[in-house]
Amino acid sequence: MAAFVLRRLLGAVPLLLGIATLIFFVLHLAPGDPTASLFGPQVAPEVIEQTRRHFGLDQPIHVQYVKWLAATVTGNFGWSLNQGRPVADVVLDALPNTLVLTITSIVLVFLLGTLIGVYQAVRQYSTGDNVLTVVALFFYSMPAFWLALMMVLIFSLKAYQWGWPIHFPPTGVTDINYEFLSPAAKLRDRLVHLVLPVTTLTLALAAGIARYTRGQMLEVVRQDYIRTARAKGLPERTVILKHALRNSLLPVITLLGLYLPFLFSGTVFVEYIFAWPGMGRVIVESIGRRDYPVIMATSFIFAALTVVGNLLADVLYAWADPRIRYE
Amino acid sequence: MDVAQVIRLRRAAAVAALVALHALAACGGEVGPAGGGTIVVGMRSDFGGFNPITNSDLYTGELINFALFTPLVQYDADLNVVPHLAQSWQEHGDTAVVFELRRDVRWHDGRSVTAEDVVFTFERAKDPQTTSPLLGPVFLQHVAAAQVIDSFTVRFRYARPHAQALEDFWWAPVPRHLLETIPAAELRNAAFNRQPVGSGPYRLVEWRAAERLVLERNPDYPESLGGPPPSQRVVLRIIPEASTLLTELVRGGVHVDIPVVPDQVDQVGAESALRLFAYPGRTLYYIGWNNARAPFDDARVRRALALAIDRRDIIAALLHGQGELAESPIPPWSPVHPGGVAPVAQSIDDAVALLELAGWRDRDGDGIRENAEGAPLRFDMLSSDDVLRRAVVEVLQSQLRRVGADARIRIVEFQTMIADHRSRNFDAIFTNWILDNFQVAATPRALLHSAEADRAGSPNRSSVRDVELDRLIEQGEAATDPAEQRRIWHQFTMRLQQQQPVTFMFWLNELAAAHSSVTGVEMDPRGEFLTVARWSVMER
Repeated sequence: MAAFVLRRLLGAVPLLLGIATLIFFVLHLAPGDPTASLFGPQVAPEVIEQTRRHFGLDQPIHVQYVKWLAATVTGNFGWSLNQGRPVADVVLDALPNTLVLTITSIVLVFLLGTLIGVYQAVRQYSTGDNVLTVVALFFYSMPAFWLALMMVLIFSLKAYQWGWPIHFPPTGVTDINYEFLSPAAKLRDRLVHLVLPVTTLTLALAAGIARYTRGQMLEVVRQDYIRTARAKGLPERTVILKHALRNSLLPVITLLGLYLPFLFSGTVFVEYIFAWPGMGRVIVESIGRRDYPVIMATSFIFAALTVVGNLLADVLYAWADPRIRYE
Repeated sequence: MDVAQVIRLRRAAAVAALVALHALAACGGEVGPAGGGTIVVGMRSDFGGFNPITNSDLYTGELINFALFTPLVQYDADLNVVPHLAQSWQEHGDTAVVFELRRDVRWHDGRSVTAEDVVFTFERAKDPQTTSPLLGPVFLQHVAAAQVIDSFTVRFRYARPHAQALEDFWWAPVPRHLLETIPAAELRNAAFNRQPVGSGPYRLVEWRAAERLVLERNPDYPESLGGPPPSQRVVLRIIPEASTLLTELVRGGVHVDIPVVPDQVDQVGAESALRLFAYPGRTLYYIGWNNARAPFDDARVRRALALAIDRRDIIAALLHGQGELAESPIPPWSPVHPGGVAPVAQSIDDAVALLELAGWRDRDGDGIRENAEGAPLRFDMLSSDDVLRRAVVEVLQSQLRRVGADARIRIVEFQTMIADHRSRNFDAIFTNWILDNFQVAATPRALLHSAEADRAGSPNRSSVRDVELDRLIEQGEAATDPAEQRRIWHQFTMRLQQQQPVTFMFWLNELAAAHSSVTGVEMDPRGEFLTVARWSVMER
């Protein structure tokens, strides 16, 4: 197993390098210039040229590429052209916020998704199953940005205006008085701020997982070994949760790796709408400003996280299915 | 699962849900408006580095001038230059000015702000390695040299006489003792810019990127400049989505919302606890015709197209009335604005007559005019992907269509538009121009003077060449008497109306909203943060 993980990690190196190289060239081919967001049109062309020289943008693209590559492999991501601080600082500020959001969401996606799916399979064609099917399809087909805005409108604005007992803050990671709260209040404060963005990220994906789990479960419970398990007198609970669930989870685990990119792209608008200071916003803003070093670093990190996520899915796969052995 | 089990599970789930809801509800109540003299401002985007020499961002500049630093001069409500860090000045004819500095202004680390700091700032800004936006014509281009007379006296020599010369000094000095070791080329990346030591009524104590900034009152700010602010803290929160930001304002999570978008004006008006601030800004929208390309090399065509446009309709419908007609790049609230020149009003008949005169007729009956060679009056209208621009360009297209001109809309990403505009690769463009300050002569030269018409990357991207305009721009720049300036800009505006080298559309109002519990808020063309040092919030 360790050898497998190591081999996969080594294999990821050329993959990531290829991705980064592609991004680098596509980025520099796109029209635009980092100086455009630093200076208005009234600034003299000489000033802009001087700035471009200072950024090294006057050099041929292959020279820029080699320089960037040499710096990156030594762990130096360079300086943000727009923020005037090291890219590493930009990433370290934003990445933890994004990880909190995505990890919470992915745990909830699979927890909720499989629970609902199992329930629906066990109660196939019951009222509960039908209602959940409709609800799942509703969230699955809804555009996520619209869902996010509705969340704000209903659970933040209207809930406040109509005096509902609970309403949630629409923005931010913590309250501005967070530093002055007790530890318990701090935890609660963080949780309330997570509710709307995490719900938005979770609903559509969880609905998808629920559909998958339901379908898989229905297939598995018709298998001979389930009948055998029931025939030998095992309690229904053990049959479902141990024998059936584990087998039907296999394809769902594959989805984990596939969902990660969705989740990362989902954070882009979720972070924007809920004012969550994470990587998604950094990446979008730096693209708009052609802040090349930041775009390179952030997209590279997303690519790396996706690779790691897929590897994790493979490892989980081996755990869930004893027949699979990686040599 | 038997029935009893299911019921037990359901019960447990219900109890868990209730507990969770109560826990959340409890803190829902705590998350409210911050008290203790804290004002929370919601902004749409993060700030740039707080270095007066390298900054080019509008709101960052406002915080520099009104909160964190102390500029040499300020503007009064009528946009006249008034003393600030400089308590007085003497002008030596058209060639030099001597500023006498206040002696009671201190850096936040306790040292005095001196003439050495002012001269250091000037020299760093003038160093081409710094690539400072202050190098431009509205600030230091016409200032040749600075000299320390004594610790609190500084003399500036002008390169040449020019209009509104005192406005060259609407910038704040930086502390020499903290920045002199940093090479000019590295100033943009100095750690100072994110932890500035300023001299203003507030100091920056915390900056979490893309999340929030915390300003704390400076208890030592001199009484002669208004004294320490009444509020303990100003928290600036970054909330990029306009509707979430307004939601926070309604909920009391922020007290001031900058900026509000035109679509939200009615919503703000409907909330009795909110006040709307709407005032003419420094953003001018215009149509740039590429004067080097047919058919825009013909003034009759440009004027005809200008006559075809109904700008009042656009302002009423798309800006919700939040804009003012523009007839020139001289802002209507400027002391040297000529007044009395009406911008061309829509007249389809005049437009059609002019086009016929210029030889553009619909020769094949397709509704689009052609010239004698049979080339249709068809061109690309470039703009960027932004709600307002897109809407305006669509209306322009339909209005131009009525006189037989076919404008094909080309909406591209902002950076792509800038690149095409800069390289003069466009037929017509709808875009904007933002004034740095109220020194008005610079914009006419930048946009319209023929000396810049061919230079690569220059601001005269429409390649405007007009001897008469050149003459008036040069006179306007050199005139030092306001009455004389007004007279020249009057002629200039008349010429613009006739020639339409570019068609000026409107000045967009700046919009902001504040909760009524915040007092002391005033906003005008000088900026949203104009009175930030006097804002205070009543406890609710």
